Amino acid sequence: MYFVTFLAKNLLRRPTRTLLTVLGLAVAVAAVVAMMAVGNNIESAVERAFEGRRVDLIVQQAGRSGGVNSDFGELFVHQARALPGVAAVAEGVVNFVDVTRAGGSSDQLMIQGWQADNFGYDDFTVTAGRKLVAGDRRKLMLGSTLAGNLRRGLGDTVVLGRDDPDDPSNRYEVVGVFDSPVIFEQGAAIVPIEDARALTGMRVTGFSVRVRYSTGEDHDAAVEDVRRAIEGHRDPNDPTARVAAQRPQMYMNNLTHLKLLRAVSWLVSALGLVVGVIGMLNTMIMSVVERTQEIGILRAVGWPPTRVVGMVLGESVLLGLAAAVVGTIGAVGATYALTQFPQVNGFIEPGVSPGVAARGFGLTVLIGLLGGLYPAVRAARLLPTEAIRHD
Amino acid sequence: MTEPLLAARDLHKQYPDGQVRALNGVSLAVAAGEFVAVTGPSGCGKSTLLNLLGALDRPDRGEVIFRGESLTRHADLDRFRSRQIGFVFQSFFLLPTLTARENVQVPMFGGTLGAAERARKADDLLGLVGMTKRAGHRSSQLSVGERQRVALARALANDPALLLADEPTGNLDSDNAAHVLDLLTTLQRDRGLSLVMVTHSADLAGRADRVVRMRDGKVVANGTLAPLPT
Repeated sequence: MYFVTFLAKNLLRRPTRTLLTVLGLAVAVAAVVAMMAVGNNIESAVERAFEGRRVDLIVQQAGRSGGVNSDFGELFVHQARALPGVAAVAEGVVNFVDVTRAGGSSDQLMIQGWQADNFGYDDFTVTAGRKLVAGDRRKLMLGSTLAGNLRRGLGDTVVLGRDDPDDPSNRYEVVGVFDSPVIFEQGAAIVPIEDARALTGMRVTGFSVRVRYSTGEDHDAAVEDVRRAIEGHRDPNDPTARVAAQRPQMYMNNLTHLKLLRAVSWLVSALGLVVGVIGMLNTMIMSVVERTQEIGILRAVGWPPTRVVGMVLGESVLLGLAAAVVGTIGAVGATYALTQFPQVNGFIEPGVSPGVAARGFGLTVLIGLLGGLYPAVRAARLLPTEAIRHD
Repeated sequence: MTEPLLAARDLHKQYPDGQVRALNGVSLAVAAGEFVAVTGPSGCGKSTLLNLLGALDRPDRGEVIFRGESLTRHADLDRFRSRQIGFVFQSFFLLPTLTARENVQVPMFGGTLGAAERARKADDLLGLVGMTKRAGHRSSQLSVGERQRVALARALANDPALLLADEPTGNLDSDNAAHVLDLLTTLQRDRGLSLVMVTHSADLAGRADRVVRMRDGKVVANGTLAPLPT
């Protein structure tokens, strides 16, 4: 018999209590893991988008680089494009606008106003229709997830903004449906940048920069040169306007939504930890009290206090690991279930990465150790003679 | 005279409530391979003496000496118990979730044997007490006599030099009691163990090499059964 077999048999003595403890912990673990997974998947999606498109810098209005309310004049785009070290620039107007769904209900969707030559098109797969071209107005392309959510396809009309029967200016014809490697674009609509400006009242919310790459050159130094040059640009028509250029990793670290998500994720983790530890503490204290006499016997046959501590902690960690397995499976299911909701399925990727699962397991081991510590010490401090007499 | 395996010198023990002086200057020596029975009325201090001899508790005064070394100054009494002492209790105290084979292995954790060797040794010990066919049964599936035989095998798990038995037949009917006592004495003799057995039974005490009679926390008689005053 292995020691772990002994621990497992102790846990299985009270199968109902063990099951309920595991389930209670698993719910906490699932909430934590699902929350971390959502945040992690969003970060991964953004990171993949930047890497896939070889974006070196993201430029937004200085002081507003953490969200979508950045706004500045197009001159900054032209100035950046004219820099000798810049290979390509993709400008955009990104914001949320109201959309009227098939049933008449309204919701918000992300629109991305792009120029026809935006390099973001390069990794699109157009599954129906065509890309937007120069001169298009009141046309849009739907990401395939959004098309499914809106139940709209090629040739259909999508109403952006308030649905006014007397005003056809906010009616957009679907000219294409696409698949994008970027989850946010899957759930977004691409419109001509001029239309996006009209819809949002913004000029440019940001642009991405590809720095020219030469063999043998220090690429990071080249990117830094471009970054400084862009941040030094000024718009004579808007003298107070400033832009901030950030490397993709820095941009992601500063994204308000991601920061919020990380904060909520930590909060849920902390709550999960507290709830888990309390549950574990309760279970293990009961278990130790019930087995006082047995612990006395174990001490009598020569078990040192450290082994008794190891037994109780081992049992609580085993409980935690069982909860981690169930909770992680539950979290995977939860993220898939979440993506069935049209409100979020364009922004959230399902699944739990190995790294997030490992953090969930780490958390439950911590719950096991913290929740089992006091009962373990209490068990180890029992005097063998008194424990054996315990009834 | 050869040095005894175990010697108790002037043991005093009072429990924290202060009401009971459980031991009041008990001295005792047990030679290697000797079977000593400790008898006396309830509350006379027999079990307390057994606990002190087995290093389950420490005396308030006096000392227990094992192979010339005082247990009072012993740094690791758990290790001492594990290596040198085998306990047999009146209520068996088998772990209910484990089979007989697994119960016998419990004292072996932390030793040098691997899992397979532990299982093999447990089977050997269960063979010694005639429990081979019941090795895979949990205690709830065993009769009380069988449980005590498994407990006896468990007491031998780490090849102790000294067996301490506290009313080992107290919960058994006469047939089972006789069987367990036969086993106990046979194993004690065959393996050269010292055995200290607490018992109320004059019959059982009669099987011992020497009988120690206690009253009110003191040894009142120490010798073979026949010449002891009743």
